[in-house]
Amino acid sequence: MTSPINTLWERAGQAVKPRPAGHAVKPRSGAAAARRPPAVLRGSSWLPWMFLAPALLFAAVFKFIPMVEGIRMSLYKVQPFLGNEWVGLQNYATVLTDQRFLDALGHTLVLGVGQTVGALVVGFGLALLLEGQARSLWVLRTAVFLPVVTAVAVIGEVWRILYFPTDAGFVNQILATFGLGPFSFLSSPDSALGSVMAVGIWSGAPYDMVIILAGLAGIDRTLYEAAAVDGVNRRQRLRHIVLPGLRPALTVVLTLAAIRGLRIFTEVYVLTGGGPAGSTEVWMTRVYSLGFERNDLGVASAASMLLLFVTALLTIAVRLITRRREA
Amino acid sequence: MGLTMRISSAKRAAAALSAMALVGSLSACGGDDGKSSDSSKPLEVWSRSAPDPAKTYEAILAAFTQKTGIKVDYQGVIEFDTQLQARASSKDLPDVWINDAGLLGSYQSQGYVTKVEKGDIAGSDQITDETWAQNQGLDGATYGVPFSRQSFATVVRSDWRKKLGLPVPKTWDELAALANAFATKDPDGNGKADTYGMVVPGSSKRGYIGWWASSYIWQAGGDIVEKSGDTKYKSVINSPQTKTALEWVRKQFCTPGNVVPGSLNLTTSDTPFFGEGTAGIYLTGPYTFSGYDKAPGKDKYEVIPMPKGPVGTTTLAEGENIYFGAGSDKTAEQKALAEFLISPDAQKIGMAPDGAAQPVVRLPVNKTLDAGAVRNDPRWKLVQDEYTANSKAFVWSINFQPIRQALGEGINKMMSSCSSDLDAGLKSLDQAINAELKSQDLAE
Repeated sequence: MTSPINTLWERAGQAVKPRPAGHAVKPRSGAAAARRPPAVLRGSSWLPWMFLAPALLFAAVFKFIPMVEGIRMSLYKVQPFLGNEWVGLQNYATVLTDQRFLDALGHTLVLGVGQTVGALVVGFGLALLLEGQARSLWVLRTAVFLPVVTAVAVIGEVWRILYFPTDAGFVNQILATFGLGPFSFLSSPDSALGSVMAVGIWSGAPYDMVIILAGLAGIDRTLYEAAAVDGVNRRQRLRHIVLPGLRPALTVVLTLAAIRGLRIFTEVYVLTGGGPAGSTEVWMTRVYSLGFERNDLGVASAASMLLLFVTALLTIAVRLITRRREA
Repeated sequence: MGLTMRISSAKRAAAALSAMALVGSLSACGGDDGKSSDSSKPLEVWSRSAPDPAKTYEAILAAFTQKTGIKVDYQGVIEFDTQLQARASSKDLPDVWINDAGLLGSYQSQGYVTKVEKGDIAGSDQITDETWAQNQGLDGATYGVPFSRQSFATVVRSDWRKKLGLPVPKTWDELAALANAFATKDPDGNGKADTYGMVVPGSSKRGYIGWWASSYIWQAGGDIVEKSGDTKYKSVINSPQTKTALEWVRKQFCTPGNVVPGSLNLTTSDTPFFGEGTAGIYLTGPYTFSGYDKAPGKDKYEVIPMPKGPVGTTTLAEGENIYFGAGSDKTAEQKALAEFLISPDAQKIGMAPDGAAQPVVRLPVNKTLDAGAVRNDPRWKLVQDEYTANSKAFVWSINFQPIRQALGEGINKMMSSCSSDLDAGLKSLDQAINAELKSQDLAE
């Protein structure tokens, strides 16, 4: 007598058994083979391309063609109505030797690192606080996530009002109840970059939180139970179970945040426009003001290409490092 | 076998079709070389306008279509410079656009605009030779048709001023004292210290603060760029006179309340303080009158003659031109539109004399019209008088935009610290302007 389970096993075994030789695909006759359509059009091989075509078309028109165009423009003095002038790598040299670009690079790195680390720490804290199934947590998580789905330009406008640098400003009013301030925030070259960074952390942390929450959900619960049996304290549990379990999630968060940090533009443009005294000027605001305010599209393209290159390099580096770790 | 064959040929046909569609849509994107060669297409007209002034332009252009039968596709564009440049890089400029007269040199140096033969434009004799001369490019040819002119004016909350018992400011000192009183003496009487003196668009974006400060630089006897020789220019910003002006401006920035706090990051579109009733003094263009008549209210503010600086009362003059886009083959229509736009009828519509709409013609270029009389408004008479007697423009014939940008960045930097070395700041600004002139091949 066979149990139902055994029957299932047998069926499963059947399914993977090699087919008898008689069922194999018959070799075609020579004439038929000669009339076969070329490989690309044969059978299902081109079907995926059909489905991909709309996306590829959009990517080509809106990404690849502009990218190639950008590379081309970076090698010219661009003047569409007078004829472009070939200048080779001179635009790149202009960017790399321009003090303002180097300052902007410094600000970009400070902002990138600060926002990445800040958002990661805050996002991690939020994730630990808001992990769980309760409905109240679900509502709270949605509320916390709101900055991510709000348009960056709107965030900038709102924060500019919140940051108003007198006693009448909202943030200053709150700080005044603790006996602090008033602070000048965006209006002083000393505090502007920090204030921009705080906005970046505020709007970036919930995004990190969601990825980390997903990572937390993926950690095997039995590890917690085993640890509890072994009598570990909360800090040890964090150090030896949670953090190692979150490594893939953290990799994703770090990669995304680093790229986001390097190409930061809207927040800065709306909050300060790069000022005061250029203290918040970042790579992309410099590119923008060269390209669209100074009409120097060649140099602006060269700077954009350098950013693309650095971003690609950074992404590859992160991937290589994590692959080695995971191997 | 036969069935397989049929299916595969059907598939091939489908594949070929989809490939054709793909190529077709691609070439549809790239194939149009942008020349507006189709004569059935309407004349494309742009202006740098927010929705309110755009309505005034729509009214003028509707009158144009009604009179000539030429159809117009009009757009008021806010991010104008960016959008125009995007169109330029695809070699598809609008047929006509109306924008700052100060950009004449920028457009000419990039080949965006075509020459205008003054004699060919009917009604060109109704514009003074002086105004026409402003539209001369570096090569001596005329670019763009004058459309509107203006000078900056100072608006003051008269109700606040009277409440505090202070006179109309006639000098810089009185202006500064008034600003300080507005900030410290609670002119709105709400018991809170929430009012400020001057509104300043102090951002370096597009060179805003340089725009605002230029009047004060000239009033102190300083200047920005000067002609040296026939075709060359040099920076003259690094002078004791400019320093006097910037010292005064910085004193306003560094006296709490004299200038709205945080102004160094603000452009004109981020400065609603005068209309909202939180600041009482604003050196601005006269196009803002119609908005301020609604809030804070026509009876609550006044337009005052420029308070005198150490040397004079010069104020910044600006204007708008009608530019003919390069690459357009609608030359007859371009000309017809320009002829209409400078006619008394069109200029009157643009002046929005009933005060309901925002004027796009500030001071008419047509000499048969008088701004004060058409609008029956002494404030516009004052603007006209200041423009004629006491105004000065940037150098329009050279590519001034990057110089204005450098000026804005330099002044923004000097104002951001109350103790920095102004001499060093002026020296580096001087170098920046000269470097820009050199890159334009205009330095000595």
